[in-house]
Amino acid sequence: MEFMTMPTQQAEKPIQARFSPYDMNGGTVLAIAGEDFAVIASDTRLSQGFSIHSRDTPKTTQMTGNTVIGSCGFHGDVLTLTKVIQTRLKMFSHIHNKDMDTTSIAAMLSTILYYRRFFPYYVYNIVAGLDSEGKGCVFSFDPVGSYERESYRAGGSASSMLQPLLDNQIGMKNQEGAKQVPLSKAKAVALVKDVFTSAAERDIYTGDGIVIHVVSKDGITTETFPLRRD
Amino acid sequence: MSMRSYCGVQVCIDRSRSVIPTVDLTEQVLPKLVCAGNIPGSILAYNGAAIMAMKGKECVAIAADRRFGVQAQTVSMEFDKVFEMGPHLYIGLPGLATDVQTVAQRLRFRLNLYELRENRRIKPKTFMSMVSNLLYERRFGPYFVEPVIAGLDPKTFEPYVASMDLIGCPMETEDFVVSGTCSEQMYGMCESLWEPDLGPDDLFETISQALMNAFDRDAVSGWGAVVYIIEKDKVTKKLLKTRMD
Amino acid sequence: MECLIGIQGQDFIMLATDSVSARSIVKMKTDHDKMFQLSDKLLMAVSGESGDTVQFSEYIAKNIQLYKMRNGYELSPHAAANFTRRNMADALRSQRPKFVNLLIAGIDEDGPSLYFLDYLASIIKVPFAIHGYGAMFTLSIMDRYYKPGMTKDEAFQLLQRCITEIQKRFLVDQPQFKVRVVSKSGVEDLGFAKPTPQVDS
Repeated sequence: MEFMTMPTQQAEKPIQARFSPYDMNGGTVLAIAGEDFAVIASDTRLSQGFSIHSRDTPKTTQMTGNTVIGSCGFHGDVLTLTKVIQTRLKMFSHIHNKDMDTTSIAAMLSTILYYRRFFPYYVYNIVAGLDSEGKGCVFSFDPVGSYERESYRAGGSASSMLQPLLDNQIGMKNQEGAKQVPLSKAKAVALVKDVFTSAAERDIYTGDGIVIHVVSKDGITTETFPLRRD
Repeated sequence: MSMRSYCGVQVCIDRSRSVIPTVDLTEQVLPKLVCAGNIPGSILAYNGAAIMAMKGKECVAIAADRRFGVQAQTVSMEFDKVFEMGPHLYIGLPGLATDVQTVAQRLRFRLNLYELRENRRIKPKTFMSMVSNLLYERRFGPYFVEPVIAGLDPKTFEPYVASMDLIGCPMETEDFVVSGTCSEQMYGMCESLWEPDLGPDDLFETISQALMNAFDRDAVSGWGAVVYIIEKDKVTKKLLKTRMD
Repeated sequence: MECLIGIQGQDFIMLATDSVSARSIVKMKTDHDKMFQLSDKLLMAVSGESGDTVQFSEYIAKNIQLYKMRNGYELSPHAAANFTRRNMADALRSQRPKFVNLLIAGIDEDGPSLYFLDYLASIIKVPFAIHGYGAMFTLSIMDRYYKPGMTKDEAFQLLQRCITEIQKRFLVDQPQFKVRVVSKSGVEDLGFAKPTPQVDS
């Protein structure tokens, strides 16, 4: 019978072991630049597939007195990358006796990322802070270091849900005759809470809570806000 | 807001792997829990489309973009994807354009037979079953459309919205449904903008803003939009001017 | 490599097709006619797999003529286009789909109409249409210079622009285009149009 020969044919196949050096741990970051402040927020869930590893892992890191980086993607790379940046910033402050500018941190991050062009850090970064003139600034990055200064940006697992809403509410897109009014801190923070609540409804990788940092000339204030935990 | 149950299938996504051992960031690592509609290269995304429907107070709305393209090339900006199936009943069919037209025509045929036999208007829920049945008949060689249904009950005028995957797994909701190549964007918009008991004018504004801002972040849908506001004694069709890029 | 162009004018439709008959990399013929007359005021331009083009077009043409004989009146352009679409859509999910791209041009009491059908059997009514790689170069020209209600001369000038651009930028040589016009008086053959380096704006 013909199917009797099948086991031998199967046995001839070589066994292959595969290993992926990456994982996806979800998470969403969001930053908004105001006139003299910047808001950056991230959710606090760390997950993998259908399991939640942690409900209290913010994906934002304070780098200097006026710069915060939000990074999500593969958490192992997030930790390594933030450590590398912090080391570089420490070296800078020892050499120059001052903190690095937000703008310069963004430029440096781009080179750090591009340095690993063919084995990238699997991290989506957003840098928020104040520029040298004291204006709020936001820089968004792709995993290999392409970056751009913007006035608002969402990154990570729910970015595609948040970004159109920011276009609408902050960029005033598709609103005929609407005037661009300067965004207040309170409105920005309220909007952040709103959009994260919406994202948590639909994105299983976003939830548990958010951490919101407001960067201004007086320093950085941090607040937390609960999200649904299912 | 209601949680979404989903019975999705992935369709014919054959992408050749590179021989050089590189790490593919998008496919391997990013687990996506969405249907093939938003995966570039999928048959469902060949022509591009974005459709959503929303419930309001004694009214429903259904809105769609108007692009017909062949992958990145836009061929027409006047393509119908929303079809009238009765005085208070509409269906939106995002997906492969040829199947959009085939399914619309076959549905119209079945609906005519139904209404001739029963001598009464179909209920939206019954119509939903009809669509589901039509799609499931092709379980193993599906029509590449993921319908959105919006309507009012012919007797009670109760609002009704539902959506379906390409093999007819239905989903009825109490708020809104979305389908198409930018479903994530549409979910983000709808989840934030929609609220219960919107009147027809507010519902129009809400669905228009939700749709426009969603498809502006999608490369294969947009290029104008159409909105139907369905009320007890009138249906308003509005064409939206949107950015054309 | 094939290219079909259609333009709707004031009271006519202008159809143009490249006239190259190619097998693999070889140009077999440069005066090949890719249009089929379906009835007095119905014209179809066809590209695609070589066997399918002729077989399918003749099948459609004969059935449209049969309809006229049986019923004593003709299929409208809209009906003819949808009849064609239905045949393609049925074939698409059969053992042997027809690989043809079509432009169907016709005129009736409601004026001229042009239908675009791709090999998947999607149908759309359009003011102008281009099939094939030529679309990459000429769709933008159409967007810029097409206007509703053009005269025959204006439409021909627009066509010349498109053909010239294809000749100028497209790698594959398409020396001449067969041009026909469908109007109230029937189908008129305008012969071959050749690329002209100078077209005044």
